[in-house]
This record gives sequence, structure tokens and C-alpha cells, in this order.
Amino acid sequence: MVTVAAAYGERAASFGGLWRYGRPAGIAALILILCFLSLYPMVMLLYGSLHSTPPGIAGEFNLNGYVSIVTTENLVVLANTVGISLAKTILSLVLAILLAWIVARTDTPGRGVLEVLITLPFFIPPILTATAWAMLGNAQVGTINLAWRWLTGSDGTLVDVYSYGGVIWHMMQYSTPFIFLFVVDAFRAMDPSLEESSRMSGATRWQTFWRITLALMLPVTTSAFILSFIRGMESFESAVFFGTPVGIEVITTTIYNSITQRAQPDYQSATALGFGAMALMFLLLVLQSRLLRGRSFTTVTGKGYSPNVTQLGRMRWLTFAICIVFFALTVALPIGQLLLSSFFKFFGFYEADMLTLEHYRNVWENSAFWRAFGNTMLLGVVGATVTMALGGIVAYVTTRTRWRGRRLIDVLAWLPWMMPGMVLGIGFLWGFAILPHAIPIYGTLWALLLAYVALGTPVAVRVTSAAYQQIAADIEECSRVHGAGWWQTLGRILIALAWPAFAVGWVLIFFGIMRELSASILLYAPGTEVLSVVMLKMWTGGKPEEVSVIGLLMLVLVLVFRWVQLRFIKKRISTL
Amino acid sequence: MLRRNVLGGLAAGAALARAAAAQDAEWQKVVDAAKKEGKLVIYTASIGSTFHKTVFKAFEAKYDVKIELLEARASEVRERVRVEQSAGRFLGDIHHNGSTTTWLMTRDGNLQPHGEVPNTKNIVAPFEADDIRIPAEVISYCLLVNKTMVKPADEPKSWKDILDPKWAGKILSDDYRALGGGAVFFVVMQNTFGRGFHEKLAAQKPAFSRDIQNSERRVARGEYPLYIPFSLQDINNLKGLPVKPIVPAEGRPYVRFDLSVLKNAPHPNASRVFMNHYLEVDSQLVFANAGYNPVVKGVIEKTIEEIRPLLATKAMGTTIPEKQDEMLELAKQIYK
Repeated sequence: MVTVAAAYGERAASFGGLWRYGRPAGIAALILILCFLSLYPMVMLLYGSLHSTPPGIAGEFNLNGYVSIVTTENLVVLANTVGISLAKTILSLVLAILLAWIVARTDTPGRGVLEVLITLPFFIPPILTATAWAMLGNAQVGTINLAWRWLTGSDGTLVDVYSYGGVIWHMMQYSTPFIFLFVVDAFRAMDPSLEESSRMSGATRWQTFWRITLALMLPVTTSAFILSFIRGMESFESAVFFGTPVGIEVITTTIYNSITQRAQPDYQSATALGFGAMALMFLLLVLQSRLLRGRSFTTVTGKGYSPNVTQLGRMRWLTFAICIVFFALTVALPIGQLLLSSFFKFFGFYEADMLTLEHYRNVWENSAFWRAFGNTMLLGVVGATVTMALGGIVAYVTTRTRWRGRRLIDVLAWLPWMMPGMVLGIGFLWGFAILPHAIPIYGTLWALLLAYVALGTPVAVRVTSAAYQQIAADIEECSRVHGAGWWQTLGRILIALAWPAFAVGWVLIFFGIMRELSASILLYAPGTEVLSVVMLKMWTGGKPEEVSVIGLLMLVLVLVFRWVQLRFIKKRISTL
Repeated sequence: MLRRNVLGGLAAGAALARAAAAQDAEWQKVVDAAKKEGKLVIYTASIGSTFHKTVFKAFEAKYDVKIELLEARASEVRERVRVEQSAGRFLGDIHHNGSTTTWLMTRDGNLQPHGEVPNTKNIVAPFEADDIRIPAEVISYCLLVNKTMVKPADEPKSWKDILDPKWAGKILSDDYRALGGGAVFFVVMQNTFGRGFHEKLAAQKPAFSRDIQNSERRVARGEYPLYIPFSLQDINNLKGLPVKPIVPAEGRPYVRFDLSVLKNAPHPNASRVFMNHYLEVDSQLVFANAGYNPVVKGVIEKTIEEIRPLLATKAMGTTIPEKQDEMLELAKQIYK
């Protein structure tokens, strides 16, 4: 039996006396930054959950918010939420690992192009894919059902997207490419010598895959699983589109109802429910930490290697077909709808006399759109860069050192991910508005930037943590022994080796910023509109076709970014 | 005697003319001050409306006052105002929101008296202004049917016709258990027909959806033949599709949008001039032609022919802010 375990905890980085004074100051600064970004809005929300009125209004402290969430109705909501998220995460994980293995470790034809296409759904605004799937999968006149009835002559319904299955399917559109992005580079960067040793020792391909490959991928897969599961718990669009019409309620729709669907918004219940969900997610993190503790997952060592590609023979056409089917179902169908709809007057009405370019013209001439586009690009580039830098440092401290305070830093970095976005947005609003007026954050682009950095840090930390855990400590020690300083070693060894993960994280955060709405709608001011807000305005104003045009523009950006990213990664891998 | 009466009449007329001239002069001072302020910040819950932007642009052109717009959902606007004001940030001037939210904000002290606005004298019953709130426009609700699925003979003529079992499972609806048009519909039907109406409607198993724009398109695509309650101004987004708005015999539930001035507004004169501009016949005509009911007299008769019969129907009723939460609870009990 092949196992991988080493006393990793004992091999933490050590810098002798060099950091005698700088280290405590560095850690304190890091903690302060994280406290401002994540703890500060959380404290505002905690206040809101324990006070009968929001900050600024006289009231009293009580536990009514927490008492109100302990009802049978809320237990059903919680069961729905956990069940749906678990189902979609497991299914997505299995699919993503399969696709990542096909793309990164086999000789499947066209895998470079497939890699880009498989990840496209993640970058499309959920409201658009929901609209597309509503047209494809509704029980009455959905395209899939009409085709089924025509083919079989039956009156029955093959799929009904307004169901638990529909909610899960729509969520999988995002979680599968999300997990894929995490996993594919880890597969690619793995030294194949361990797998070769396993095969040479008599293990079958399947045994090697299960006991070596997947075992080594545990930090990445568990991180991706947890991130995706938490995201599933906080998912809103899928539930509100396909669940609410048939009575399926989840935590986020319940919170949304508490805040926006009552004459007197109930922030106390909403924030209490948010903390309740957060407590559950915290347990998952503890579980992950226990699972990974004391084990080594290094796959990148000081020896040179080239990634191993499994020759599949004729089976490569089966794997190619699997990728194509996935692409057809999750990309071609919904994006095809978007593309078609952008050229017709109305979404879903494809008649010759409705052909038009007016949607493209309207977007092109819309000055509010261009201003928002500029703001979003600026915030996206700066935000993703700052977030990855912060995440890289946090990940280093938590995975490569035994410094005091590293567990606190890890928890602080996780916090924003665990709070539903629409609740966290309120925390940012409350937090930034009460800052002294001399600090120019509220009402400026800074408010949005800080919120985005806070929201993206958990992803940055997870992506880089998983990458660092694959790198052996001796490479770093070797650099230090040869006289390189801490920053040099971080930049020229660790980050250089983990660069593919950095690139993936950067792209994820950039496009996360483009799509983020919950905090943006509460923090933007006239002049600092971002794309997500402009798209909401267009959607509410009855212009879903113009939203499609913007969605397609975002897809073009994705293709460009991913092409650049993959070329860079390939160049890096070839020089390892 | 006759000479005394004539002289008296002339004196009264002259006094009135002097008073009017004085009033005009006073108002001109307000307009001049507004132009000097040069800017107006509007917080509105009317998201993405091109008709509102038409009226705003006309104001900018007429008075050379730049408008900055912050659009968000009703509760988000309210929370932003509340948070900003409690933090001592007074950034907004005009608040444009549904009557329930405006009432709540009046109660919470987020608004201030607007001062004299001349065009308020043209407001038509049953709408009226007070010193804080001015009616802005009215959203009317009716039915939307798919013309290819519903023959003219089968179209509902009364609100009670939707209780006919032939509509069971065929009604798509905004959620009555949440704030919005659905809640307005619920309250008005409850007040007009009683609980029995809703119990029978619940038995029809309407499908609820909060995505109003998509719901209207779903009816157009043929997923459902009927949608309630349909906001009449949305018909502009559906022109060319096989759908038709119907106002039943009993009339149309409605909800009022109000204008008010935010507390410590930085541009109070521009705010007053804007409110006055909003109540001009030309401005109200933009809204009326779009399907909103105007709040001043002399507008409906000037609207385009296709919309006039719908606007001229009876106003059935609206929500009472003080009872809103109680009604939402009742809706949750009936529509499980």
C-alpha cells in the first residue's frame, strides 16, 4: 500500500534571528488589515443580530434574532440548503476531477481549447444562464421538452427546471468550472514520479489514481469542495429563479425576504440567520483542518520533472466526447441562447422580422455602461492584484510558518466567505458609513475596492495555500541557505513555482468582482457604478437582451484572459 | 351701487394680480437659487426606467441643474438613507419611492418639509400632497393574457373570473407574500372581495415568481396564459409580443410613488424646483403615455389613444402602510 505522510508540521520555515523585530510588526500589520476587512463588518453584523434595531437607531440588546431562527420552517430551509449544496458539490466535484484529469493528464485531442471552453459558464452572470435554462427546461414549452415530444410522440415532460433538480443543475453550471479551475493546475503541476513508482510497484491505473493522485490532491480538492459547498449554501439566483416558484426556500431567499420583502425590514433575523449559517460552515473548516493535519502533500520538489500525460489510445475519443457533451450542455446551449437573443428583439422569439442590432447599438451608446465598464475594469485589475498579494502572504504565514497568530490570521481570512453576500453587503454599508468623514472611503471607489478585497481574500488564500502545500520546504530552505532574503525567496521561489495557481486565483477574483452585486448595490454612489449594478438596472428596466450583450462581452474578456493565462502557465511548466 | 361693485371687483382683481406677481417673484427667487446650487442628487427606487430619465433630462436642460442618480431597490434606498443620516452624511436631496417606504421614512424622521411647490394645486383626487410627500406617479395593476392562448371570449372580464377552475394551474403571479405588486393586489382584493376570494384563488395554485420581467416574458412565450398583477407601464417592454393587458370591470389596484426631500438636503431649492417640474403636465404626460397614471389634471385626455382607455378605468384601491406587515402575514397564512 502506498501512503503519503510525513511530519510536515515539523518542517516549517525558520529564519533564525533575522525576523526578531520585523516579524511581530509584520504579523500585527497583517492582522490589523484583516481585522478591518473582515472582522469590522462582521462586528457590525453581530451588533445587528443582537440589537433590536440597526446601528444608529435606539433599541435594546436581546436574542430575539437567534430565537426567531429556531423554528420548524427554518429547519426545513436549512435542510433544503444543506441538501442542495451537498448534492451539487459532490456531483460537481466528481465531474470537475474527471474533466481536470482528462485535460491535464491525458492525450485527449484539443484539450487546450477544451480547458478554456469548460470554464466559460463560470463567468456568465447567473441571471442570464437562469433565463436561458428557463427557456430550455420549462415543463410547458421548454425547447428540450418540445424536442422530446416531437421525437417520441409522447405528451410527457422530460425535464422540469423548476424543481430541486433544476436548482442543483443550475448551480452546477458554476460550481463545476469553479472546482475545475482549482484542480486542473494542481494536476498539471504534479511530479509524476510518485505515480510511476506506484505503477512500477504493481498498482493498477485505478489504484494509482485513487491512492496516489487523488490522495496528493487532497488539499486542493478539499479546499475546492469547501469553497464550493459554502458558495452553494449562499447561492441566491438559482434558488430564487427555479426554487421559489415551486416553494423551495433556502437560507438566502429567507434572508432576502426578511430584508426586502417586508414593510419593516428585519435585519436582526437576517443577520442572526447569517451567523447561524456561518457557524455551520465553520465546522466544515475545522473538519478540513483535521483531515489535512500532519500530512505532507508535496508534489513539487527540488528535482526537475515534466508532467506525465497518460496515453489513452482509442479511449481518448471517449474522453473527448465527455468533454464535448459537457461543453454542449453547459456552454453551447445557454450561450447559444444568449447569442441568438442578442440579435433578436426579444429573448426567445426567433422570427426573421425580429432580427435587430438595436441591443448592440444601445449598449454601445450607453454612457452609463461605459463608465461602469471603466470602473469595473479598474476595480477588477487593482482588486484582483491586491487580493492575490494579500492572499499570497496570508497563505504563506498559515501554511509555511509556525508563527504565533497564524491560526487567527487564517480564520480572519475565511470569515467573509462564510457570510451570505447580501448580509455582508449590509455589514460593509454600516461599517463604512460610520467611519469618520475625514477618511474618504464611503461613497468612493475605495469602498467598493475594500469590499471586493475582503470578499476575494478567502479564494486567494485557498488557491495559494493549496499550491504552497504542494511545494517541498527544502526548496525554500535551499534559497535561504544561499543568502536570499525573505521577500526574494517568497517572490522568486514560492510564487514563481505557484504562479499557475496565482494566475487562476487572479482570474477567479477578477471575474468575481465583475459579477459581485450584493455589496456593490449598497456601496456604489453616483459616478462609481459598476457593471453588475448597470446590468441590474437594465434587467429591471425590461432590457434582458442588452444584459445578454454585456454577458457576451464578458465572455470575450474571459476568452482573452484565459488564453493569456494558459499561455503563461504552459511557458512556466515547460521551464520547470 | 354698480360703480361701487365694479370698482370693488377691479380692486380685488388688482390685489389678486399683485399677489400672483408676488408669488411668481418668490418662485423665481427659488428657481434662481436652484440654478446657483447647480446640482441635484436623487435617490430613487425606480430602477432602469427610461421614462424617468426623459423627465430628468428635460429638467437638466430647462434649469441647467445636473442630476446625479442613485437607483436601488426600495428597502436598499431606505437603508442607505437611514445609515447615511445616522452617520451625519447628508448626501441626497430627493427621495423617490413607493408610498409605504416613504411613509415609514417620514415616521422615522428621514425627510423634511419641502416648502411651497406651486404645481401641487393641480394634483387630482384621490391623490393629495402634504408638507412632506408629493405624489409623483401611479403604478396601476391589471391582468396580462397571452393572446394566442386565450380567445377574446375567454378573457377575464372581472377579477372574480380568475377563480374559474379553467384557470387552475395556469396563473403565473407576483408573490402576494412579499412587498411589491403582489402585496398590493392581495390587499386590494382582500378589501374588495374578502378572504374568500383569496382562499379560492389559492386553490387555483398560482405559480409565484419574484422575477417580474421574466414572468411577463414567460407568458409571452406561452408558458402560462395569464399573469397577475401586471404593471401597466411594462407594456412598453412587450410591444410586438402576443400579449394584452386587461383591466377588469372592478378597476385597477394601484400603488403610488412619492417624491420627498431628504433631511438636510444639500440642494433644497433645486429639490423644490424639481418637484414642481415633475408635476408639470408635460412631465406627467411622459409617464402617462408610458402607462403610469398621472397625478395632475389635464393629462389623461392628451395621452396616446392605445393607452387612454386603460388609464381612464376606475382606481380600485391601494395599500395602507400601517397595515402592510399584518397583510403580508395574512397572505402567508392563505398561500402556503
